[in-house]
Amino acid sequence: MRGEAAAAAGSAQAGSAGSSARAGSARASTVRAASRVAGRAATRAWLFAALIGAWWAWSAGSTSVYFPPLAKIVRTLWAQWAVGPARAQLGSSLEHLALGYAIAGLAGIGIGALLWSLRYLREATSPYLYFLYVLPAPVLVPAVITVFGIGAAMKVVIIAFAAIWPTLLNTLDGMRGVDAVKLDTARALGMSGARRTLAVVLPAAAPQVVAGLRNSLQVSIILMVVSEWVASTGGIGYYIVTAQESFDYLGMWSGILMLAIVGGAANLLFVLAENRLLYWHYGARAVEGRA
Amino acid sequence: MAGAVLAGEGRLAPGAPGRGWGLRYGLRLAVLAAALALWQALSAAGLIPGDEFPSMTATVSALGHLAMSATLWAAVRDTLAGWAIGLAIGGGCAIVIGSLAGLSGFAYRSVIGVVEFFKTIPVIAILPIALVLWGATLTMKIALVAFAVFWPLVIQVCYGVRSLDPIARDTARVLGVRGAREFLMVILPSAAPFIATGLRVSVAVALIVDIVAELIGGGSGLGAQILVAENSGPSAYPVMYAYILVAGLLGVLLAGLFTLAEGWVMHWHESHRMAAGHAG
Amino acid sequence: MMGQAPQQPVGTPRGGDPAEHHPYAPVVALNGVRKAYPLRGGGQRLALGDVTFDVARGEFACVVGPSGAGKTTLLRCLAGLAMPTSGTVEFEGTPLRQVPAGVGVVFQDYGRSLFPWLTVRGNVDLALKARGIARDSRPARIAEVLASVGLADAGRAYPWQLSGGMQQRVAIARALACRPDLLLMDEPFASVDAQTRFGLEDLILRVREEFGVTVVFVTHDIDEAVYLADRVIVLSASPGVVTEVIDIALPRPRDQVATKRDEAFAAYREHLLGLVMTR
Repeated sequence: MRGEAAAAAGSAQAGSAGSSARAGSARASTVRAASRVAGRAATRAWLFAALIGAWWAWSAGSTSVYFPPLAKIVRTLWAQWAVGPARAQLGSSLEHLALGYAIAGLAGIGIGALLWSLRYLREATSPYLYFLYVLPAPVLVPAVITVFGIGAAMKVVIIAFAAIWPTLLNTLDGMRGVDAVKLDTARALGMSGARRTLAVVLPAAAPQVVAGLRNSLQVSIILMVVSEWVASTGGIGYYIVTAQESFDYLGMWSGILMLAIVGGAANLLFVLAENRLLYWHYGARAVEGRA
Repeated sequence: MAGAVLAGEGRLAPGAPGRGWGLRYGLRLAVLAAALALWQALSAAGLIPGDEFPSMTATVSALGHLAMSATLWAAVRDTLAGWAIGLAIGGGCAIVIGSLAGLSGFAYRSVIGVVEFFKTIPVIAILPIALVLWGATLTMKIALVAFAVFWPLVIQVCYGVRSLDPIARDTARVLGVRGAREFLMVILPSAAPFIATGLRVSVAVALIVDIVAELIGGGSGLGAQILVAENSGPSAYPVMYAYILVAGLLGVLLAGLFTLAEGWVMHWHESHRMAAGHAG
Repeated sequence: MMGQAPQQPVGTPRGGDPAEHHPYAPVVALNGVRKAYPLRGGGQRLALGDVTFDVARGEFACVVGPSGAGKTTLLRCLAGLAMPTSGTVEFEGTPLRQVPAGVGVVFQDYGRSLFPWLTVRGNVDLALKARGIARDSRPARIAEVLASVGLADAGRAYPWQLSGGMQQRVAIARALACRPDLLLMDEPFASVDAQTRFGLEDLILRVREEFGVTVVFVTHDIDEAVYLADRVIVLSASPGVVTEVIDIALPRPRDQVATKRDEAFAAYREHLLGLVMTR
C-alpha cells in the first residue's frame, strides 16, 4: 500500500512532463485492464462467498433447533416467501414502507424548503425540530397505536412521522449552505422566489438532501418492522414474531433473510436512483460552470 | 449525513448574540408556550379524546410524579447501560477491525463488500436471533446495539485510515515513528474526523436500537416502561407520554454530550478551530 | 577571488572522484541511481535516469532543475522513502534500505507534514520519542531546538495557530531535534512569501553552522540555490540526469544584500539559468 502510494505520488508529480512511454499494444492493455477488473471483483467477493460457504458447511449437519441448516432455511425462504403464503405479508409490508417513506420524503423536502424560506418560523421552531429528530422514533409506536389503532393507517403514519426528520433537517441544512453568489445571480436574473428555490437552491442542496433521504430510508425500514412487531396482523415483522413465538425457527430464519434481502434491495435501488440524480446534478453544475 | 444537523441547534440558527439573540429565544419560548396552550385547549374542548391522547396538564403532572419516582431513574439507568456498553463494544471492535482492514489494500477490498452488505441489513432482523440466544436481558440489548453501531462505524474507520495523507505518512517514516506509536499518534488522529462522523450517527442509532430492544425485546428500560404504560390502558397514557418526553430529552442530552466531547477531542481540527482559538 | 569561478565550473556530472574535491568521506553517495514508476495500463516512466553524485560532510548542496526533473524523486531516494530501481544510495558508507536514523527531512507542505493534533512542542517531542531519547532529557532538547529557530515561546501553540514561515521553522526544528547528520529539504520555502523566504534562508544557514549538519536542498529557485549552496547540482528535464555540478565560491557568511549584489552571484545565476532553461 505504501509502495502504491509512493508510485502514485511520483507519477502524479511527473505526469506533467508528458514523456510517458506506454508499452504494449492497445489490445494487450485492454486484456490487462479486464483482468484487473476481474481481480478487483474477486477480492471484493471472496470473503463474502467464504462466509456464506462457512455458514452453509457449519450448519449442514446442525441438529440445534435454533440454528437450522442454511440449506433448509433457503428452501423455506423459497417455499414461504417466493411461492408460498408469506408473499402476502411481504406485499403488505412493502406497501406500507413505500407509502410511508414517500410521504416522509416529499413532506421532508417540502417542509424543509418552506422553513428555509420563512426565517422567523425556522428560528422559532429549530430546537423542537431537533428534539423530534433525536427522539428515538420507536417510542412513538405505542402512542400512535392508541390514536390510530392497529391497521394500515397506523403503520404508514408511524413510518412517515419517524422518517420525515432526517430528510427535513438535511434539506434545511443543505439549503442554508447554498452559497450567496448563486442566490444573488438568480435574483439578478429576475427569477421569482419559488423558481429560485426549485431551480437553484434545491439542486445545490441535492447532495445533502439525498443523504437525508438515505437516513430516512433506514429509519423507515426499522419502523416498518417495529410497527408490525408490536401490534399487527400482517407483514414481515408479524411473520417473524409469530414464527419465533411458535418455535418455528426455520420460519424465523427465513423471515430474517427476507428482511436482509428487503434491506439490501432497498439500499441498492436507492444507490441506483442516487447515482442518476447526482449525475443529473453534477451535469447541471458543469453546464452552469461553463456558462 | 444528518451529522451537521446533529451538531446542534447552533447549526440551524447561527448568528451573533445581541438583539437577534433575545428575539430568537423569545420566539422559541413563544412557540413552546403556544404549542402547550393549543394542546391544553384542544383537550379541554374535547377535540382530542382524552382516552386516546392525554391533556397537557395530565402529561406534565405525570412527568413530575415520575421524576420523583425510582422507576423512572431505574429505567433511564437500564437504557443508558445498554447504550453505553453496546456503543463501547461495537465502537471498539469497529476501530480495531476497521484499522486493520484499512492498513492493507487487499484486506480493505476483501472486507468492504461484506461490510457494505451487513450495513444494509436492518438491525432489527437480528433481534429474534438475539432474543433466542439471550432472552430479554441486558446482554441481548448490548449485542444488538453493538451490532448496529459496528457496521456503519467500521466503514468510516476504514475510510479514515486509508485517507492518511501521504506526506503525513512519509513524515512519520522519516521521524522513525513506527508500530503502536505510529498508530496512536499519527494514523488514529488523522482518521479522527471520519471516526467522529461515524460516531455521531452511532450515538443516535445506538439509542434507537437500545429502545427498540426494550420495546419489542422486553429488555428493561424506557422502552419497556412505555409498553407497560400503553398496556395499562388510557389512565396510564399520561405516563406513557411522559416517558416519551424523557426518551426525547435523553436523545438531546446524549447528542449534546457527544458534540461537547467532539469539540474537546477534535479541538485541533479545522471545523473546531474557532472555538479553540483562546486555548493557545 | 570570487569573480572567476563561473567560467570554469568545478565538478563533473558523473564518474569523477569526489574525494579529490572534498577531503572528508561523503555523508551520502548516489551511484547510478535510476528510478522508474509503473504506469497505469502497463509500461513505465523513467523519473531518474542514472544519477551519480555525492555530498561531503558539512556541505550545503542544492539540487536544481526544471519541473519534472525528478527532484522530489531524488530526495525520496536520498531519504530512503523510495528505493531506486537500479543503482545504490549509500548513507555513511552503508547502502540505504530504509529511512536511516541520521536523516532529517523538511517537506515543502508544512501544513500537511506538521501534525495539527499535536502542539509545536508535541511535534518535536514525537521525533525525540521515536528515536528513543530519554524522557528527562527531552524538554531541554525541545527548548534548545525551538530557541535555535527563534520559536522559544511558541512551544504550547498549535502549528495552525502560527504563520506559514513559523510553521516551516517548526518543521526545521523537528527535523533537527534528533541531531541528524544529513538534513534533506524538499523545496521548503516554496510556499511562503518573499520576505519570509529570505529570513528562512538566513535561518537555515545559521542553524546549519550551529548543528554542523550536511544539507541537501532541493529547489527550483536559482537565486536561492546560489545564495545557499556550496555546490549546485543541476538536473536535466525528465528523465533527470545530472547535467552539471557547480561549486559556488561565494564567501561566507552570506548576506541577502551584499552577496546578491556580487558580480559572481550574477554570473552563477546567469550560468545556471542557461542550463535549466535550455534543457
